[in-house]
Amino acid sequence: MKISINDLRFTYPAGVEALRGISLEINPGEQVAIVGQNGAGKTTLVRHFNGLLRPSSGSVWVGDWDTSKYSVAKLASRVGYVFQNPDEQLFSRDVLTEVAFGPKNLGYKKNKVDELVGCALALTELNDKTETNPYDLSPTWRKMVALASIIAMDTPIVIFDEPTTGQDAVNIARIANVIAEIKKEGKTVITITHDIDFCAENFERVIALSNGEVLLDGEAHDVLGREEILAKTYVDPPQLTRLGKALGLKETVINQEEFLNALK
Amino acid sequence: MRERLSFHIKRDSALHRLNPLTKLLLVLALILSAFLTPFYWTPHILAILVIPILSVIGRVGREYLSTAFRLILPAATFLFLMQAFFHPIGKEIIFAFYFLDMTLESLMFAFGNAMRIVVMVSAFTIFLLTTHPSELMSDLSRRGLPGQFAYVIISTLQILPQVQAKAQTIISAQRSRGLETEGGFFKRAGALIPLIGPLVFGSLVEVEERAIAIEARGFTSKHVKTSLHEIPDTPTDIFLRWFLTTLIAASIGLKLWLS
Repeated sequence: MKISINDLRFTYPAGVEALRGISLEINPGEQVAIVGQNGAGKTTLVRHFNGLLRPSSGSVWVGDWDTSKYSVAKLASRVGYVFQNPDEQLFSRDVLTEVAFGPKNLGYKKNKVDELVGCALALTELNDKTETNPYDLSPTWRKMVALASIIAMDTPIVIFDEPTTGQDAVNIARIANVIAEIKKEGKTVITITHDIDFCAENFERVIALSNGEVLLDGEAHDVLGREEILAKTYVDPPQLTRLGKALGLKETVINQEEFLNALK
Repeated sequence: MRERLSFHIKRDSALHRLNPLTKLLLVLALILSAFLTPFYWTPHILAILVIPILSVIGRVGREYLSTAFRLILPAATFLFLMQAFFHPIGKEIIFAFYFLDMTLESLMFAFGNAMRIVVMVSAFTIFLLTTHPSELMSDLSRRGLPGQFAYVIISTLQILPQVQAKAQTIISAQRSRGLETEGGFFKRAGALIPLIGPLVFGSLVEVEERAIAIEARGFTSKHVKTSLHEIPDTPTDIFLRWFLTTLIAASIGLKLWLS
């Protein structure tokens, strides 16, 4: 499902102008990472996709829906949003009920809910923890429960807000795997991240925001190679990219594979 | 959404510059003289003349007026009506309405009491408008108020807005999972369940973290603590406090002598 953003502006009630005219198209099945300094407007932007915020001017369309005309609960059938802190959404007695909460709200039939929950639990490797209380799990596993609870809603668009913050290497690999799997299903994945290596390894398209405006938008390669422009929004290109540049490699490399190929 | 829960308005005025203890004593003096005075008109003079002058000196006249009209006057009016009609003194009925009757004595009594309430609440309002709570608390703990007591007051003022913000995030997260928060009573009551769990749990975790954080900075240490923020205590303050203490002693003394 396509997302179209037309000259979106947003000002918080306190008077902070967080978005200053953003126009973007995000095509079905794209893997988009949004980067930029704190306060650049990343979260403000994605909160418009599921109606948590309404444009001060301009518009956001999700498929054929104008987001300003639909409630958040309605938009939840199209856009899944994984919040940064799992503790701000987990409330059920056990993992299974927690993950089933979203799909039940969306009104799927009983056996469809079971099927979706089963898939989400398998994908997030939570199969053996269905009976556990989410708060008895470690923070990394709670994060996976939060992921599963959104993936089970089977929305064509999934948003992750800082999925790798505070996660160990094993869990980051698990999250990357989840993203790769939902990509295979043809879903759009949008991720806000400060983890630039994670961004380089898992996303095709990178959008850099700065002061509520789009600074760069394009293929991960092109965007992550523009060191000087990224510096404006306090983003460092991945280490390998900088190393490649220092070594005088002709092409911009953003991950291990490309780096090794360029060295051969 | 309000950012904080204190009334304090940051301005520069003679009242703002006074030491918090001096202002606290001023409030006490105003209240005691309004309640203990043997003269009928004292609370009225205080409420109509002294309090407004104080609010102007503190440059919070507009804010005081708005509080007075929205909060203090309605409350005082209610109290006035109740006492004017129901206080059983006096014989000569000057006004009757069905079973309600008012005498001159009950009218005077009610008016006086209402004015005392106005003085009391107004004095506190002006105090809160011109004094930052953390300034008050650091001054009082410097003078020997137990730190725990100051912590309870300050943390209450700080935690409530934080809990509010947290609740907002949790509601957003659950709405993003398709939770319908609009609609009939039962629907909305049901929508509370996914909110309360994370809110209560999260707040408890935060309380613990806060306790550890302040302990890590030597909260219960017995040593004398220094403060980064110096709160001025000028000769004017000391003079005013003597004056106010005398005033308080005088009103208590007068009350005892006359009774």
